[in-house]
Amino acid sequence: MIEKLMKTQLFAWVDRRTGAEAIIKSQLTEYPAPKNLNYMWNFGSLALLMLVLQIVTGIFLVMYYKPSAEATFGGFTVAFDSVERIMRDINFGWLIRYMHAVGASMFFFVVYLHMGRGMYYGSFKEPRELLWIIGVVILLIMQGAAFFGYLLPWGQMSFWGATVITNLFGAIPVLGDFVTQLLVGGFAIGDPTLNRFFSLHYLFPLLLVAIVGGHVHALHVVHSNNPDGIDLHKPEEMIPFHPYYTIKDAFGVAFFLTIYAYIVFFNPQFAGYFIEVDNYVPANNLSTPAHIAPVWYLTPWYTILRSFESKLIGVLAMGGSLAILFLLPFLCKSAVRSARFRPVYQIMVIMFFIDVIILGYCGHSAPTPTLKIVGQLSTAYYFLFFVALPFLPKFEKTKPVPEGI
Amino acid sequence: MKLTNTLMAIAAIAVMGFSTSAMASGGGAHLKHAEIDVTNQEQLRRGLTVFTDVCMGCHSAKYITYRGLMAYPELGLTREEVDELRGDRSLMSGMISDMTPEDATSSYGKYPPDLSLIVPGRRGGADYVYSLMTGFEHDPAGKVPDGNYNAVYPGNRIAMPDPLSWLDHDEADTAELEQQAHDVSAFLAFIGDPHQNERRAIGCWVVGFLLLLTLVLWRLKVEVWKDVKH
Repeated sequence: MIEKLMKTQLFAWVDRRTGAEAIIKSQLTEYPAPKNLNYMWNFGSLALLMLVLQIVTGIFLVMYYKPSAEATFGGFTVAFDSVERIMRDINFGWLIRYMHAVGASMFFFVVYLHMGRGMYYGSFKEPRELLWIIGVVILLIMQGAAFFGYLLPWGQMSFWGATVITNLFGAIPVLGDFVTQLLVGGFAIGDPTLNRFFSLHYLFPLLLVAIVGGHVHALHVVHSNNPDGIDLHKPEEMIPFHPYYTIKDAFGVAFFLTIYAYIVFFNPQFAGYFIEVDNYVPANNLSTPAHIAPVWYLTPWYTILRSFESKLIGVLAMGGSLAILFLLPFLCKSAVRSARFRPVYQIMVIMFFIDVIILGYCGHSAPTPTLKIVGQLSTAYYFLFFVALPFLPKFEKTKPVPEGI
Repeated sequence: MKLTNTLMAIAAIAVMGFSTSAMASGGGAHLKHAEIDVTNQEQLRRGLTVFTDVCMGCHSAKYITYRGLMAYPELGLTREEVDELRGDRSLMSGMISDMTPEDATSSYGKYPPDLSLIVPGRRGGADYVYSLMTGFEHDPAGKVPDGNYNAVYPGNRIAMPDPLSWLDHDEADTAELEQQAHDVSAFLAFIGDPHQNERRAIGCWVVGFLLLLTLVLWRLKVEVWKDVKH
């Protein structure tokens, strides 16, 4: 179909002015991709899909959402009322809002699997270090966008979650109070906070679009890694991106959308994991919920924060746990990329994935002494994993790496 | 392929763990199961009657307008029925109780929460509402006065006085009171998300279509890939 289109006069006219043919050839029909990519390589396109869906649904939500913490009848606010108006009175507002709220969780789900794939197959290693680093920047901006967005409905968990997180900045020596007040727009979470969070919630996705562009560009310079983690040179090892991976990604998209639609239409709250029960209660600064926890995709880092008695160390550990991701390409020194041929790394990285899930579970549950110790041990392993990486090549016996695929 | 399976298994375990632990975290007391059907017009209308006759003495449901009541096919109310319910209130008005916040605070010590979102906004949802309605007991410790002790309310001391007169009710009335509690739970579950039936109905078509699309694209993928040798 693309070939037919490229033979038309209209295309020739466009091509003479944009070089469209060269772009299509170099980026799609002649863009070389390894032929042995497995389904773990589908999550990049799914993440892009979720970014687009979040932006599109978000734009429609903003048409009706009102960022104001002004009180209305019955202990509600203008912001809360406008969300309920979207859910009840706007035609298909419920669909758009559930797509957006569930979409946030699905976005993180595919991005975490995308990152896990990169870690397992060594996709962050030379020459893809910058590709990984740009990806970590994307993760941080996503987490920021999700945090800002969660305040907007002005429910109990919006309010108290924002209170807890903004207070963290107070632990920074000297500048702490200034930074907190700048972020909050006053001395406590209130109307100015809501307005600036709304502004930032609109800004961050725009940043994401730009940086995702850089991520894809960087990928197209260094090309995809593959499950064997080896450099491919022979032409018979490669297949053009289009049609092979466009159709494979399309299949992945349809499969993913089926699951996404099932959740949106049949279980949008997902038992309180995607939309928390407490957020159906309007924000009340006089009544703290019994248990404050962020949404599941932020809970691993929340556990790391809570694992330390000192607030400052907790904040530093949480920041460090994210910052250390930037260093991964430089900490992991083994010449072999894929965990398939690295028996020790393979065990360590699978344990790391399980560790992050345990951290997430601990952060979501109400704190108990047992969970606290489990959380502290998991935090210890989280950092131990990164600290041990540089020493692995000294004793790890890697399996022989294949010549080609 | 091996890793795909491992990761899928991890993801599946995580999702399953999440959903079971969420169900287990229902709060202190064990909740009774509410027999509700938010598509059952008779039950919803009986629940509406309990709501307007009992709950609305103190509680409001501000997000449910009288015009909205008329518009929901699940309730099937006519203009005349709605006019009777609303009295001299505007058609666009929410279902607002006549009790003022000041009166409520002086009589009960606190302002009764709005009930529009009480089912999605409480752990246990409709089960919680039903259990609360039928959870009034004598305080075993004898401290909390009768009518303010509730077995399922967090802390057990509730400001709301036994709305269905459950405490010390006649044995013969049990079935009737339980039915009222079921019905009002159904109505509150319905107004918590009034498009839920429409959502599920559309959802069957959407998910069905996407399943077919997935199947077609999967066959297409296999067809396109058949000349790639591994």
